[in-house]
Amino acid sequence: MSFPKKPGGKALDVLQNLPRITLANLRPEPGARKTEKRRGRGQHGGNRSGRGHKGERQRGNRPRLGFEGGQTPFYLSIPKYGYNEGHSRRPQYQPLSLKRLQYLIDLGRVDPTQPIDLTQLVNARGVTIQPLKRDYGVQLVDEGADIFAAKINIEVQRASEGVVAAIERNGGVITTGFYDPISLGILIKPVPFFLRGQPIPKRMLPGEDMVPYYTDAENRGYLADPEKIQQARLALAKKYGYILPDISKDELYHMLSMRKDVRQIFFGLAPGWVVSMPEKKILKTTDEKLLKYYSS
Amino acid sequence: MSHKMAACLSLRSTVLRSALRAAFSPARPATAVGLRCVCNAAPEANKRAVGLTESTEEYKFVERLIPPSRVPAPPRHAGPTPSGWTPPADSPPPLPYMIRRSRMHNIPVYSDLTHGSRRTTLVRKVEGDIWALEKDVKQYLKELTGKELPTQVNEVTMTLKVKGHFDAELKEWLAGKGF
Repeated sequence: MSFPKKPGGKALDVLQNLPRITLANLRPEPGARKTEKRRGRGQHGGNRSGRGHKGERQRGNRPRLGFEGGQTPFYLSIPKYGYNEGHSRRPQYQPLSLKRLQYLIDLGRVDPTQPIDLTQLVNARGVTIQPLKRDYGVQLVDEGADIFAAKINIEVQRASEGVVAAIERNGGVITTGFYDPISLGILIKPVPFFLRGQPIPKRMLPGEDMVPYYTDAENRGYLADPEKIQQARLALAKKYGYILPDISKDELYHMLSMRKDVRQIFFGLAPGWVVSMPEKKILKTTDEKLLKYYSS
Repeated sequence: MSHKMAACLSLRSTVLRSALRAAFSPARPATAVGLRCVCNAAPEANKRAVGLTESTEEYKFVERLIPPSRVPAPPRHAGPTPSGWTPPADSPPPLPYMIRRSRMHNIPVYSDLTHGSRRTTLVRKVEGDIWALEKDVKQYLKELTGKELPTQVNEVTMTLKVKGHFDAELKEWLAGKGF
């Protein structure tokens, strides 16, 4: 800050005092330039030119890569197995460690006084989600569970047990929610969606295979019974050996208990509304049929 | 005759093209949005006719969703945070060199791996006497590892390269100094 910038520094001073640089004065660092190997020249490079004695090696007719002289090659003797079969139909979840989440909160990129959503995480550039690459959202990962110390209301798509314990130990709330690919695309990039001028769609319910996950209180699913979730919180506290703090006595209780409706994509904005960004207004329809559809 | 044929063909092709365009154009939503684009002269009359209400109260929820375009300044912390990030000291340390923080408020020490086995550590954003920094770094790493590590000073870009991966140690050392 207070240091005067001297471009080139001491090297430039030295250069200015030396005689003029010409091609005759320059030499590369010893070991920087290695002379290339020239085949077929001289006593040791000539004769067979590094090709060996007769056979396929000297004549340049070796068989294909992987050929083992007739023995069943390695790549054929191992049987096939469908490890990657259906990989493009498998949902993927971008991992987010608690260490990184704590880092984002510490640097002020994510606000812990507001409910943390996937939109907030993407706006903070904490994760990058690609819905077109079969990403169905973000998953919280155990790493950093021991150093995590923030009271937050977070909604992710998947979370492991250790993560749930770490968040609840600090007095926070975690929920797992499902977003279908279209809703996910809208969730991570809300501004281009609003500029399209289309009404906010309803969030679709999970498919058959995901319903058991999101109706389970152990996973804090958004379709689970709230009473069962409370019981699960107590059970987890007992299992991990910490006292479950009482959130209802917290000053941020209202924020911690904010949850999205099953069909809602954004906090505070209902499906069916059109957002007009240039006019900074929200347009709501009054047609009965549309209202009935959007509130179903 | 050939001219007429050519004109006829071109006309038919343009008609076909416009028909295709109409067939494949995305169907606009049947709500008032399409109508809004059509007439800007009397918007309120149209909106009331179609059945729309406006509101500006919930717009604050939309403002929360807009991504910030600048990196926010980190909140004040007394010492190291739970995640391991240390804020810079309020006043720069009294040394002949200064190492600025990156735009994401981190210490600019990076490790690199080239050619599969060449490990280097790079210290960027150095200001002031870079040779003094090099001397201090060499001494610190000598105490740490017991070896004299080769370093390279680039006075034009004001960077320091050290052989080996020492980014964690150097970050801790620099944070301890108050950079």
